[in-house]
Amino acid sequence: MRTLLADYREILTEQSEYRELLFQMTKRDLLVRYKQTIMGFGWAIFMPLVNTAVFSVIFTRVAPLQTPVPYPVFAYCGLWAWNFFASSLRFSVTSLTSNANLVSKVYFPREIFPLSAIFVCLVDFAVGSLVLIAFMLWYHIPAGVQLLWLPVVLAVHLVFTVAIALVLSMANLFYRDVKYLFEIVITVWMFATSVVYPIDRMGGKLGALLRLNPMTPIIDAYRSIILLNAPPPSSLVSAAVVACIALAAAWLLFHRSEFAFAESI
Amino acid sequence: MAPAIEFDNVSKKFRRGESHDSLRDLIPAIARGLFRRQPADSLDKEEFWALRNVSFNVERGEALGIVGPNGAGKSTTLKLLTRILKPTTGRCAVRGRVGALIEVAAGFHPDLTGRENVFLQGAIMGMKRAEIAGRFDEIIDFAGVGAFVDTPTKRYSSGMNARLGFSIAAHLRPDVLIIDEVLSVGDMAFQQRCFDRMLDFKQRGIAIVLVSHNLQAVATLCENAIFLANSVKAEGPTADVLDTYVRTTQKLEAPTGGRIVEITSAEFIAGGTPIGAYQEVDSGSQLDLRVSVTSLEPIDDVTFGFLVYRSSDQLLVYNGHIQSRDLGPPDRFMGDFVLDLTFRAHLVRGHYYITLHVLHNPTQDYLVPRRQVATISVHENRSRAGVADVDLKASMIPVADPVESRDVRSAAQPV
Repeated sequence: MRTLLADYREILTEQSEYRELLFQMTKRDLLVRYKQTIMGFGWAIFMPLVNTAVFSVIFTRVAPLQTPVPYPVFAYCGLWAWNFFASSLRFSVTSLTSNANLVSKVYFPREIFPLSAIFVCLVDFAVGSLVLIAFMLWYHIPAGVQLLWLPVVLAVHLVFTVAIALVLSMANLFYRDVKYLFEIVITVWMFATSVVYPIDRMGGKLGALLRLNPMTPIIDAYRSIILLNAPPPSSLVSAAVVACIALAAAWLLFHRSEFAFAESI
Repeated sequence: MAPAIEFDNVSKKFRRGESHDSLRDLIPAIARGLFRRQPADSLDKEEFWALRNVSFNVERGEALGIVGPNGAGKSTTLKLLTRILKPTTGRCAVRGRVGALIEVAAGFHPDLTGRENVFLQGAIMGMKRAEIAGRFDEIIDFAGVGAFVDTPTKRYSSGMNARLGFSIAAHLRPDVLIIDEVLSVGDMAFQQRCFDRMLDFKQRGIAIVLVSHNLQAVATLCENAIFLANSVKAEGPTADVLDTYVRTTQKLEAPTGGRIVEITSAEFIAGGTPIGAYQEVDSGSQLDLRVSVTSLEPIDDVTFGFLVYRSSDQLLVYNGHIQSRDLGPPDRFMGDFVLDLTFRAHLVRGHYYITLHVLHNPTQDYLVPRRQVATISVHENRSRAGVADVDLKASMIPVADPVESRDVRSAAQPV
């Protein structure tokens, strides 16, 4: 128990010591990311927009779907939040291996790599919110007082993302299979979450299984507080608990395996 | 106060080849691990010790040199000191902020400008933003890239990259400094500036560990050294350790066999008896080297090459050729014979090695390719640097009548 606490204390002191590096690495990735592109940050909103258009055609024309708000804004809100999760993980998976040069030659807490990957995506997430605002203006959806929940929802979202990102980046360092497996899993995961359709009414064994997925309450919470001016679903509490436990376990695992990174990369 | 660096009985083992690269190999590896617990102190058949029971301490204001052949575990030691690796057994404690002059440009991103990279690399080395900003001009000045701060570093020459990286590292205020061969960065003027910087660091009480193949640099900067070859082979004052290192690693290489002419041995002679292939002498002393040669055919019209190199940097300090026809009539030497060479070591202090080769003049074939046969260590204490001992002497004589000389000068002025 004492070593456990000591490990967490070490994690925290290291992070506070190197917080400027986290900022610099995030800045580096942001500066480099859209260099020599014409669209620049436009790419951050382009992908969810295309997806929104595609799913809007499917779920309004091919298989019409009942949604509490007009479907395009329903879908965009889900895709916007999901994309932050998915692209954070996509960049995190290879964040350690693509910085092999630094990992094997300079010491600093290795969490910096997945964390800066997530912060870069957080900037994209902020840019994407402008489009959401535009959608809401277009469909005359007013924002209400329930929007005050946003920091809480974002915190749960972020905690869960960091937990998964730490595990994935580390796993991919030891076994490069992970980045291939990841692409398959993330696609399946998206359709197992209420991103482009609501899944809360699904019953049976499959429904019970899907309710274990912490991403569904998180995405539903965004929709509730932003589009419906309703409080987040109560299932967000269990998602928050799962996210916190996952983060504590993932970070400890990462911290304790860190010393083997330089040898295995 | 505890020493800045404590390396206590450290061992580090590595695995040859990849352990398991993909999931397919993981399962058998886990199964093996479950049934057979490997004690930390024993080796698997795929494993080897890169370092074995290595101990040393470095105090503040002290510089320790680490010398050793390639694969001796020097880089592993540095990686343990910089916390990149963890020891398998033993303890490695470094107190205070560690500055590492290793891979000084590792964090550079080619698409970022010099300015952006200074802040990035500085942060990687553990500097605060305000700290970097405060020393930014100094860093750029020292690196000499002033006109290119806002140019992406991918447009820099490799020298500029390395100089900028070094300059950032040199402006870190560390408590412990770890250096790996960085003095090979940049041109001579820059190297000199780097070296002065190291001395400056040392005077400010920073503990330094220097790993280098440049024995001259080790001798100048460090008062103590260790000779590492997976374990500590020698430790103590730098001069003694370098002596041991040079002596043990530069032995006569074994003849390869199958040649018409072979050099079977070479030894210094004193008073008619052989005294080995290593000698410590005072500058200017005479040395007698006896070379034993075996030839299957009569020696006719060959050149014996006698070359002297400085060990620290492979500088050729002497290249002499002896023609066989000057030594005696042709066809005279066949079978075993000796070649006696006599020379004087008019060299500044340091370590030198001697190579011999035998060249067949008509065909220009090397009957014996260049082979290192002997090592000398020269002592003298007048020179500061250089190669040849020019036997500098000095005397001071007062000028007879200073008043008169002044008069001469004023008289010479135009009226």
